[in-house]
Amino acid sequence: MTGADADAGRGVGAAAATAGTDALQSVLAAENAAIFGYGVAGAYLAGARQGTATAFWNDHRSASDTLAAMLRARGTQPVAADDAYKMPFPVHTSGEAVALATFLEDGVTTAYLGLVAAGDAGLRRFGARAMQDCAVRAAFWRGSSLAFPGFPGFPPTR
Amino acid sequence: MADPTRRRVLTTSMLAALAAAGSAGCASGRPWPWATPPKPAPDVGVLRDVIAAEDAMISRYAAVISAFPALTGTVSPLLRQHQQHLVQLRARLVIPAGAPSPSASPSATAHPRRPRIPLSQAAAISYLRAAERDEAAALIGWLAAVTPSLAQLFASIGASEATHVAVLRSARSPR
Repeated sequence: MTGADADAGRGVGAAAATAGTDALQSVLAAENAAIFGYGVAGAYLAGARQGTATAFWNDHRSASDTLAAMLRARGTQPVAADDAYKMPFPVHTSGEAVALATFLEDGVTTAYLGLVAAGDAGLRRFGARAMQDCAVRAAFWRGSSLAFPGFPGFPPTR
Repeated sequence: MADPTRRRVLTTSMLAALAAAGSAGCASGRPWPWATPPKPAPDVGVLRDVIAAEDAMISRYAAVISAFPALTGTVSPLLRQHQQHLVQLRARLVIPAGAPSPSASPSATAHPRRPRIPLSQAAAISYLRAAERDEAAALIGWLAAVTPSLAQLFASIGASEATHVAVLRSARSPR
């Protein structure tokens, strides 16, 4: 290998690491938004559904902590959560709260899909496992499964 | 400078030799360099394994529906999603004509052609649930060997299968 090859290899490796870090930041931003959103949804739910929303809210808080730690380990300051997020639609009823929770889980699933494409083998696996968790939570709120979770449209484009 | 007459004689004799080779149907000589297509990319073998696994999953669902028609309403939506998975996976499979076929891995041949279905509806649901769980986990194991685009498709299908596990867990056998 020549010096130029080695430099090129380091350049590719650095680019891949940067892409992975950027994707982790995007996923963290999505998790932070989901934490906020579940706070809103939970306020309009009661009983077992509110308990489930609280459990899922904790799942996202835990995921956010994990992602922040991963970013710090890469020498990167984790992106901070915003104070508030624009609701995709008005939420005043339990049905709308369920729709919001579904929207949140679908969105975070898509964010992890980006990590699967951007990351190294370890990040791919991490992202794929997280996608499974999000998709299962989305299926709970939706009451059914999707053929291609994470892809906003069907069929997925190449 | 070369003698023009000599060059003309050589060219004429070469053309005659080539014409003879052509009319003889290339009985001798080396094969064309492109006669052997390039080997399929490494991820083609992985994709074929995943297609085989998806095929096996569809066979399991079909066998369960055949054995227990009362379960059709519960499992048919999941079967349809597996069929959608298969369409997308097959669309990604591109193998040059005549290329050597990638050898199937042991995991691809581990799935039985004719699945043995449990004797009760509840056991059949458990059987499908276990298969979905195993496949969702296997897809994560395959991620490292494929392109980013294919990894996304595998991850999405794995997420779908994880939701199938949850749906089947909450499914109750019809009376």
